[in-house]
Amino acid sequence: MTARAKAPGWFLRRVVHGAPGWITLLTYLFMLLPFAVLITFAFNAGKSTVVWTGFSFRWFEKVVSNGNILDAMQVSLIVAVASAAVSTAIGATAAVAITRRSFPGRDVLGAALAAPLVLPEIVLAVALLMFMSFAGMTLGYTTLIIGHVLVSIPFATLIVRAAASSLDPRLEDAAADLGANEWQTFTMVTLPQLIPAIFTAFILSATLSFDNLVMSTFTSGVGTTTLPLRIYSMLKLGITPEINALGALMVLANVTILLLVMGRYLPLMLKTNRR
Amino acid sequence: MSVSDKDPSQQKPVVELKGVEKRFGTFTALQRMDLTIREGEFFTLLGPSGCGKTTTLRLIAGFELPSDGQILIAGQDVSQVPAHLRPVHTVFQNYALFPHMSVLENVAFPLTVRRIGKAQRLERVRAALDLVQMGAFAGRKPSQLSGGQQQRVALARALVNEPRVLLLDEPLGALDLKLRKEMQAELKAMQRRLGITFVFVTHDQEEALSMSDRIALMKGGEIVQLDTPTGLYDRPVNAYVADFIGETNMIPARVIETDAETALVEAMGTRLRVSGTQGAAAGSDVQLAIRPERVCEDMAELENTAEGILADVEFIGTDLRMTYRMPDGSRVVMRRQNSGRAVPQPGETRRLGFRQDDLRLFSR
Repeated sequence: MTARAKAPGWFLRRVVHGAPGWITLLTYLFMLLPFAVLITFAFNAGKSTVVWTGFSFRWFEKVVSNGNILDAMQVSLIVAVASAAVSTAIGATAAVAITRRSFPGRDVLGAALAAPLVLPEIVLAVALLMFMSFAGMTLGYTTLIIGHVLVSIPFATLIVRAAASSLDPRLEDAAADLGANEWQTFTMVTLPQLIPAIFTAFILSATLSFDNLVMSTFTSGVGTTTLPLRIYSMLKLGITPEINALGALMVLANVTILLLVMGRYLPLMLKTNRR
Repeated sequence: MSVSDKDPSQQKPVVELKGVEKRFGTFTALQRMDLTIREGEFFTLLGPSGCGKTTTLRLIAGFELPSDGQILIAGQDVSQVPAHLRPVHTVFQNYALFPHMSVLENVAFPLTVRRIGKAQRLERVRAALDLVQMGAFAGRKPSQLSGGQQQRVALARALVNEPRVLLLDEPLGALDLKLRKEMQAELKAMQRRLGITFVFVTHDQEEALSMSDRIALMKGGEIVQLDTPTGLYDRPVNAYVADFIGETNMIPARVIETDAETALVEAMGTRLRVSGTQGAAAGSDVQLAIRPERVCEDMAELENTAEGILADVEFIGTDLRMTYRMPDGSRVVMRRQNSGRAVPQPGETRRLGFRQDDLRLFSR
């Protein structure tokens, strides 16, 4: 009684004060709980994804011995690496051009490269498919890679562009002043400072490609079924813990890559951008 | 080169600007500038921000190309030659060290891009680092160095390839006062020893006076006066120069009469004789300028005196700075060394003396 008399409304104040923290916590739970459930049931002994019957690795064994899944994974990896390489190369070149050079139509090019970011992916995919059949291309690796490049290029460009625009232009003046020609300035001064961003762009592009479903649906052909497409078709036949196990493996792979990137390149990026 | 053993005082031009003009859109940053910088001198471009001093430097370096006119370096027309092919190097205000390279790699850069062999490269880098006393830091990254150390590395990098001309763009601007004084002395000594032409840009008149052989004082894209430090200080061509360099009393005055050598003016409630008429006609309103340290209290042999009431005494360690209110309302600041004698009290009426050679007339 006395405590309440001293501080009226203490409860409400406490709720208001704590609200942002609680909301954040609940949001994270909401996002991460499904992952926890998925990973847990990957170890289920039974065939159910809701009733726990015991611990087992059998679904993991099933995943790694499933030829279809392994094939799909190989396709996904090839497409991810190839499309990431292409879109990082184009994105980095464009980013350097947009931020470090001035030429007519520079702003238009900048906007055009970011366009796929806001266009609905499905529209992009349909348009691409129509263009490809018009051009008489057979669906396969090439079309798949082109599609994925289209999806990841805005991200690759944005990342390298952000890094390029934070570069000190006076460093290029300094390089020229000390006798470096344009090519030497680019390879010895500009590019080395962009390496962390280029690496990040590559990893992000590869991840986007590896996860992609919509674009793959339209651009993959016979024999080039990607992993997400394979998982989607497996779901149609019923949900088994095999999918859980595959999901758990993919989460593990993603987290490993993320930690690798963060551990190796994040400190480097922070250092480079420090003035 | 064969010039290395010649006397630097020999007046051979190394940088020449002939009618150089620089426009950015409708803005004219530099107006038809003619300038000759001599071999081996310490030349300073001085002026407030926006006066065109940095533009002049960037034109010499080749970061900007002139809109009009000719730039010659060592007799060669380089007006349209890009920066990387000019025999000049720059020390930048923010040092502009390459953050991803070590000190050694930074200093080696001008040699690396010229494909100089590794052994010779290392030897020259060592020599340059020793010159600026940074030999022990070769393996560090620029981010691990203090501002003063980064400055030294930037200097070594600009000197390692032995440029004909070293351009310095406010290189000491970011250093604290003490370090700045040290670096000023060191730069000056280094310039003497190496005999390389230094073109130095600063807005700090004290720095310019203490280091330079010659100074070009700029304003609004033009050179107002090009002179030695003493010339600039003792013989300013106009009120702007007198005001920008050091402290000057500007006293309103009227010319009474002039003869061939002197002018008689009315100022501070009395009449004073001034050496040189500066083209002022009798009856015109002018400004009378005198440096605070040239105002005398010792009346012996002085032709010009005026009486003033001491309004304020400021004690600044080595000096006393006294402000007098004159009968016509103008104020005269006088500086006297702190000799340990009694400090005069405000309110006293005292007689001040002005040597006629120390007084200068400027149009109003």
